[in-house]
Amino acid sequence: MNPFRDYLSAVWNILRKDLQVEWRGRQGVPVMLVFSLLVVFLFNFALQLSPDLQAGLAAGLLWVSLAFASTLGLNRSVSLEQENKAMDGMLMAPVDRSAIYFGKVLSNFSFTFLVGLVLLPVFSLFYQQNMFKPMLVLVMVLGLGAYTSLGTLLAALSIQTRTRDVLLPVLLYPLALPILIAAVESSRSILAGQPIADYQSWMTFLLAGNILFTAAGLMFFETILEE
Amino acid sequence: MTKKPKLLSLLDILCLILVPGALVLILFFTPIERVMGPVQKVFYFHVSAAWAGMLSFLIAAVAGGVYLSTRKQKWDWLSLSSIEVGLVFGLIAILSGMIWAQPIWNTWWVWDPRLTTTAIMELIYLAYFILRSSLNTPESRARLGAVYAIVSAATVPLTFFSIRLFRTIHPVVIAAGGSGESAFNMTPRMLLAFFVSLFVFTLLLIDLVWHRSRLARLQAVNRGEGV
Repeated sequence: MNPFRDYLSAVWNILRKDLQVEWRGRQGVPVMLVFSLLVVFLFNFALQLSPDLQAGLAAGLLWVSLAFASTLGLNRSVSLEQENKAMDGMLMAPVDRSAIYFGKVLSNFSFTFLVGLVLLPVFSLFYQQNMFKPMLVLVMVLGLGAYTSLGTLLAALSIQTRTRDVLLPVLLYPLALPILIAAVESSRSILAGQPIADYQSWMTFLLAGNILFTAAGLMFFETILEE
Repeated sequence: MTKKPKLLSLLDILCLILVPGALVLILFFTPIERVMGPVQKVFYFHVSAAWAGMLSFLIAAVAGGVYLSTRKQKWDWLSLSSIEVGLVFGLIAILSGMIWAQPIWNTWWVWDPRLTTTAIMELIYLAYFILRSSLNTPESRARLGAVYAIVSAATVPLTFFSIRLFRTIHPVVIAAGGSGESAFNMTPRMLLAFFVSLFVFTLLLIDLVWHRSRLARLQAVNRGEGV
C-alpha cells in the first residue's frame, strides 16, 4: 500500500465523517450563521453606524463576525469527539495523528467558509455594495485557512483544561490577531477597488500564516493529545 | 534544596550596583534632547524593558522546546519564569512609553499598531497563566504550557512584521538602511547610555528569571511534585 494514499484517505475519512455529522444534525453551521448575523446587528446598534461609515467598516465587521462565529464551530468540533470518548477511538486508529488534525482543520474550514459565503450576499444587501468579488473570496480562503488551522490546534488544547471550551477565545483571539489584521486590510482594499499591488503584501502575509500555523499543528497536535 | 549558586549571588550584587549606575548615567551623563527635553530620558529604560520582555518570551519558547524533547521539569520552570518576568518587563515598557507619550503625543494612549500589538502580546502571555491554572496535573501544565509558549513566540514575529506594513507614529530606533552615516540617530553619549541600559536590563532579566525558577522548584517540592 502507498503510505501517502493511506494518509490522504485517513484525512478524507475524518473530513467526511464531520461533514456527515453536520449534514445529519445541522447543529454547527446554522448556529454559527445566526450568531455571526447577531454580531453584525449588535455592532450596528452599539456603534450607531451612519451609512457612509458603514461601507468602510463592512470589511472589519465581516471578519469580526466570522472570527466570533468560528469559535463556536471550533469548540464544537472537539467537544463532539469528547462525547462517548470518540477521540480515544480515533487516537487508537493506526494512522498518523496529524491526519486527524488535517481532517479536523478541513472540516472546520469548510464550515466557516460556508458561513462566510452566506454572509457575503447578506453584507452586500446591508451595506449597499457588491461584496461578491473573486479576490475577496480568495482572501476568505486564505484568512479562514490560517484562522482555522490555528483554531483547531488551540481548541484541542483548551478542551484538555478544566474550564474546557471557555478558554478557546482567550487563547485564540490574541494569537490570531495578525491574521485578522491582514484579512481586514486586504478585504478593505478590495472593497475600495484598489489595484492588487496595494494589498499584495497582506495576501502574502496570509499565506505565510497558513504555512506557519499548519506547521505548528503538524508538530504539536500529537503532543497536545498525548495522555 | 540546592544551595544558592555563587554566580547567582554575584549577579545579584552586579544588578544592585549596575541598575542604579545606569540610572545615574542616564540622569546626569546624557545630554538633554533638543526637541523633546528631559522626558526623552524615559527612552533608555523603555527600549531596554521592551528588549528584555521580547528576549524572555524567546527564552520561554526555547525552554518549552527543550522541555518537550527532554521532559525534565526544570525546563518548564525556566519557561514559566521567563514568561512571568517577561510580562513585567512588557508592562514596564508600556507604562514608561505612556509617560513619554503624554507630553510628546499629548495623550496617554493611541491606537497605533506598535502600541496595540505590544498590548496584545501582553494579553497572549496573560492567557498562558489562565491556561496553566486550569490544568490539573503538573505534567499537563508543563506540556501544554510549552506548546502554547512556542506557538505564541512564533506569532510574535508575525505580529511585528504586520506593523511594518502599517504606517506607525512610533519612533523607529534603528532605521533600516538609514540615509545618514549611522543607523542610530543619537549622540555618542546617548548611544553609550543606551547600550549600558540594554546590557543592565539583560543582566537583570537573567537574574530575575534565575531566582524565579528556583522559586518554582521550591513550590514544586513543597507540593510534593518535584525532585
